[in-house]
Amino acid sequence: MDLTLLGWGDRGWGDEMVFGAMMTLAVAASSYLLGIVIGAGAAAMKLSHWLVLRWLADVYTTIIRGIPELLVIYLVFFGGGALLRTIAKGVFGYGEFIDLPIFITGMICIGLSAGAYSTEVIRGAVLAVPRGQIEAARAVGMGKVLRFRRILVPQVARYALPGLGNVWQLTLKETSLISVIGLVEVMRQATVGAGSTKEPFTFYITAFVLYLGLASISNRGFLRAETWANRGVRTS
Amino acid sequence: MDQPAAALVAEDIHKSFGLLAVLKGISMVAHDGDVISIIGSSGSGKSTFLRCVNFLETPDRGRIVVGGEEIRLKAGRNGRTMAADRAQIDRLRSRLGMVFQSFNLWSHMTVLHNVMEGPVHVLKLPKAEARDKALALLEDVGIAEKHDAYPAELSGGQQQRVAIARALCMDPQVLLFDEPTSALDPELVGEVLVVMRDLAEAGRTMIVVTHEMGFAREVSNETIFLHNGRVEEQAPPAELFGNPKSERCRQFLASSL
Repeated sequence: MDLTLLGWGDRGWGDEMVFGAMMTLAVAASSYLLGIVIGAGAAAMKLSHWLVLRWLADVYTTIIRGIPELLVIYLVFFGGGALLRTIAKGVFGYGEFIDLPIFITGMICIGLSAGAYSTEVIRGAVLAVPRGQIEAARAVGMGKVLRFRRILVPQVARYALPGLGNVWQLTLKETSLISVIGLVEVMRQATVGAGSTKEPFTFYITAFVLYLGLASISNRGFLRAETWANRGVRTS
Repeated sequence: MDQPAAALVAEDIHKSFGLLAVLKGISMVAHDGDVISIIGSSGSGKSTFLRCVNFLETPDRGRIVVGGEEIRLKAGRNGRTMAADRAQIDRLRSRLGMVFQSFNLWSHMTVLHNVMEGPVHVLKLPKAEARDKALALLEDVGIAEKHDAYPAELSGGQQQRVAIARALCMDPQVLLFDEPTSALDPELVGEVLVVMRDLAEAGRTMIVVTHEMGFAREVSNETIFLHNGRVEEQAPPAELFGNPKSERCRQFLASSL
């Protein structure tokens, strides 16, 4: 293993690998946030009285959880570009070749997946909130928005955080799949470095360390958030 | 002569769950300062009635008037009524303090914040003012020293006293109690009843669904005995307990005294 390969600046790959890690973090974080928004929406649909909404949310989670993430990426990458071009041509009469930016494509793909997994986490958490907590809020005269913001969300967070922490770890790992469409994150950068230096182990072990670093730092963050959300309930 | 509007009027309240008719036309009037106890065996509909009063359950039929203001209803599916104006319900609920059997304190908030929550966010009281008021009420129910604790750190009796302070902090026109001592260990019932007795003596308007016959008899000025979703007998407690007219009421009292 040749550590001089990982030097900073023009001669080494260290800075490229660190920028790759930052890209991984950026795409993971934005996908995750998108996923939480989708997940909250789909969970609300699954808990709704309307059969159509429940059915739509079921279709979404079944499809996304049922097919390989890589396939989702290819479908969105190729399908999304074609759709964009069709719209550009049909609506705006713009005939040049255009494509979705790969960051956005990656964010949508991973976000769809994170959304499907967090749907079930959030749905379960909403169901775990004792009925009486919401009834007490209604009885004091809180409207829907207040009940949601002051009572439901903090309590759902308590039950959802462990599961959402899991979804985050999955999301972080799944970003490596976006390397296939050319987003230069850790995995892509490691592959490029390995190919041009013929030192694959050095680069993949670096990727290993970077992923592990990201995972363990964020894991600690989630543990803190859980402790906060469980204030007044568990003392440990 | 113009009489002041009754604090609370419930008229001909009906409620079914599926095929089971739980309330079959219950009416009740509470004037300011009244303490009305509602008694009856389990399944008689007394809790459901109380929950219908503040629309935690929507009555299928009937009228509810709070301080002269009638809750507007409209016909919903199956010809049952539903609330016509959610904002009105929310506003009227804030004038009806509710104390639950299982306390239902918000577990993610401290005692003080539980009590302040409604005044600050529903009544838009300034925080400092709500805080002072909450602390004073916690003092009244004898639990001020625990204001920084979370509900899970309190005994059932303490939690229920906090719940009473939470209801009081909204300055409600009427207090509704839904079996407030039924979930408590026997040795903790007393401390909650003492607080309720003080409230009654202070002239609070209270409607109390209870199994505590001693409380119903000594504290209330009116007693309603429900049976199978109907008012079987209604009288001042001395009369109802001393000389019940209906056979069912007599049996119930014999079995629960």
